[in-house]
Amino acid sequence: MKKILICLFTLLIAIPVYAIDGAQLLKQIDRNLNPESYEMYRKLINVEPDGRKKEYTLYSVKKGVDKVVALFLAPASEKGRSTLRLGDNMWLYIPNVGKPVRITSLQSVVGGVFNNSDILQLDYAAEYDVEKIEEAGNEYLLLLKAKTKTVAYDRIKLWADKNRKLPTKIECLTEASMLIKTLYFKEIKDFGGGIVRPSVLETDSPLYKGYKSIFIFANIKQRDFKDEVFTLTFMPNIESLRK
Amino acid sequence: MIKRYFLFSALFLILFSPFCLAEEEYKFDISEIEKKPYHIGGYLEFRPILFGLDKDASLYKLKFFKRNEGKTVEEYNGKLQLEGSLEKGIARLFVRTNFDLKYSYLGWEHNETKRMIYEGYLSLKPSPSLTFKFGKQTLLWGKGYAFNPVAFAGRPKDADDPELALEGFIAASADYIKSFGGPLKTLAVTPVIFPIYKHINDDFGKINRLNFAAKLYFLLYDTDIDLIGLTGGSKTNRFGIDFSRNITSNFEVHGEFAFFNNQIKKVIDSQGKISESKFDAKSYLLGLRYLTPWDTTFIFEYYRNGTGFTYLEMKDYFTFIDKGYDLFLSKNNESLLKKASSVTQGNYGRPNPMRDYLYLRMTQKEPFNILYFTPALTTVMNLNDKSFSLSPEFFYTGFTNWEFRLKGTALIGQRKTEFGEKQNDYRIEFRVRYYF
Repeated sequence: MKKILICLFTLLIAIPVYAIDGAQLLKQIDRNLNPESYEMYRKLINVEPDGRKKEYTLYSVKKGVDKVVALFLAPASEKGRSTLRLGDNMWLYIPNVGKPVRITSLQSVVGGVFNNSDILQLDYAAEYDVEKIEEAGNEYLLLLKAKTKTVAYDRIKLWADKNRKLPTKIECLTEASMLIKTLYFKEIKDFGGGIVRPSVLETDSPLYKGYKSIFIFANIKQRDFKDEVFTLTFMPNIESLRK
Repeated sequence: MIKRYFLFSALFLILFSPFCLAEEEYKFDISEIEKKPYHIGGYLEFRPILFGLDKDASLYKLKFFKRNEGKTVEEYNGKLQLEGSLEKGIARLFVRTNFDLKYSYLGWEHNETKRMIYEGYLSLKPSPSLTFKFGKQTLLWGKGYAFNPVAFAGRPKDADDPELALEGFIAASADYIKSFGGPLKTLAVTPVIFPIYKHINDDFGKINRLNFAAKLYFLLYDTDIDLIGLTGGSKTNRFGIDFSRNITSNFEVHGEFAFFNNQIKKVIDSQGKISESKFDAKSYLLGLRYLTPWDTTFIFEYYRNGTGFTYLEMKDYFTFIDKGYDLFLSKNNESLLKKASSVTQGNYGRPNPMRDYLYLRMTQKEPFNILYFTPALTTVMNLNDKSFSLSPEFFYTGFTNWEFRLKGTALIGQRKTEFGEKQNDYRIEFRVRYYF
C-alpha cells in the first residue's frame, strides 16, 4: 500500500512536467512576443569589431502565421526597398530595379549577421515543431526542429523565461547541430496595448567573429491588414500603410 | 576632499561608462520614423571609364573611321537622379528624373531634355486591392535577371548592368489584387493603355496607334506565374508567360517564354544588299539562383533570342563594314559605312542581337569577414560564335549612403564574332554614388 501511495505521489509530481504541451508553449511564446497581426518599427545596427556601426530603419507589418513584409525607411541608399514573405516565399523589391525578385531566406539584404529570415521572422510555431522540452532553473529549453527543408535553420534551441513565457536566448543550428548564430533577447519593455516583451535583440555568430547585429524595437501595435497587402503587386506601395 | 571627489568621479566614469555607452547604442528616436507627406531623395554619381580600343574590330572602324584616338579613350560620366513624392489621402504624385552628363573625346554631352523624366505619374489607391496610375511609368515585366523576353511594355535592360533604373513610357495602368486561401494564394490583373503618337512614346513603335498590354499574375502552389500580352499595332502582337519558384531555402528557378507574331528582321549581306523577312518568333529564358553554404550566389541564365541574327547573318554584317572601311581608306568613300550605320541602330546594334546567350554571375558575400564588401564575376557568352565578355568587380557599401564599385570588362572573341568585333578590347570603370 505504501509503495502504491509513493508511486501515485511520484506520478502526481511528475505530471506537471510531462503535461507541458510543447506546441502550446511555443504558440504562447510567439503570442507574447508579438500579436498575431501587428505593425512595428525596428532599427538594425550592424557593429564591426572596431566599433564602426551601420544603421537601418525598418517598418514591418505581419498578418497571421505566414505573412510579413518589411520596408526600409533609412538610410537613403536603402529607402523604399521592401521584402515580402508569404510562407516559404520571399521577394525583394528595389525601387530602381522596379520589379520584385525572388530571394532566398539564407541571403541577407543588409549584410552582417542577420539574414532575410531573421528580418522577416514568422511565428516560431509556424516553422518549427517542438521535439523536446527541458527545464533549467527559471527557464524552459525548447529543442525545435524545422517543419520543412525550406526553413532557414534546421534546428533551434530556445530558452524561455518560465514566468513571462518570453524567449531569453535562441541558438540557430544546422542539421548537424553546428551553431550558426545566437540571438539574445534583452531589455523587456511595455509597448502598450498589453504588449510587454524584449525591446532589444542582439545576435552574434561564430561565422562572423567579433561582429554583432542588434535590433531595437519601437511602436509595436496590434493592427489588422487586408491579405492583398502581402502580395508582390502591392510591394511598391508599403509606405502607404504608415500613418 | 576635492581630490577624493575627483578620484571617485573618475572611478565612477570608468566603471559605468560602458553601460552609458550601451544605453546610447540602443537609442531609437521616434522622430526618425515620423511619416511626412512628401519625400525628396536621389543620388549623385561619378563614373570615369577607360576604354582599350580594338583598332581591327568592325565596330571600331564603323565609329572611328575618321578619327585616330590612340589606343585608349577616357570618358567621364556624371549622373544626378532625383526623386520626389507627395502623398495626400488616396493620391500620390511621384517623379523620378535622370540627368546624365558625359565628357569624352567628342566633348561635353548630356541626355535629351525629354528623356530626363524617367517616371512622373499620379497614382490613386482607393483600397489595398486597387491602384490606378496615370503618367510616365516603368513597367518591368519578367522574371529574368539579365534578360527579359516578356518585357513587352518596357525598354530593354542592359545585361551588363541589369539593376539600372530605366526610363518609362506614358501610360494609364491599373492593378487589381485578390488574395485567397488554398493553392492559389494571389491573383492580380494589370491592364495598361499606351498611346503612341507624335511626341508621345514615339520611340516605342509605329505612331498614331493606341496599344493595350496586360499582365495576369498568379501565386499558385508557391510559384509566381505571369501571363503577358501586348497588342495595338505599334509593335507586332506578342504574348508570353513567365514563372519563378523557390525549390529550397537557397535555390530558386525562373523562366520566360515569349511569342512574337509577324516579327520583321532586316538583314544586310556581305555585298550590302538589304532584305527583310517576316516570321513568327519564339524567345525564352531559363534561369536559376543558387546560394552555397559559403555565401556565394550564382545567377545562371540561358537566353534564346528568337528574333536574333544567326552567326552567318552577323558575319555578313561585319564583312560588309570591313568592305566599307577598305573603300573609305582606298577612295575616301563613306557610302558603304553610312549604309552599314543605317542598319546598325536598333537592329544589329541592339543589346544581345544574336540567338543564344549564357549569363553567369557569381557574387561572394563579405569574404574574409569584410562587411559590406561583395566581389563578383560576370560573364555573358554568345553561344553561336563562342565570344564572351568577362567582368570582375568589387562593390563596397561600408559607409552609410556611399557606394563604390570598381569593374573591369574584357571582351573576348575571334574576328567576325559579336564580342570580338566590339570597338573595345577592354573597359575599366570606377563608380561612386552618394545617396541623399
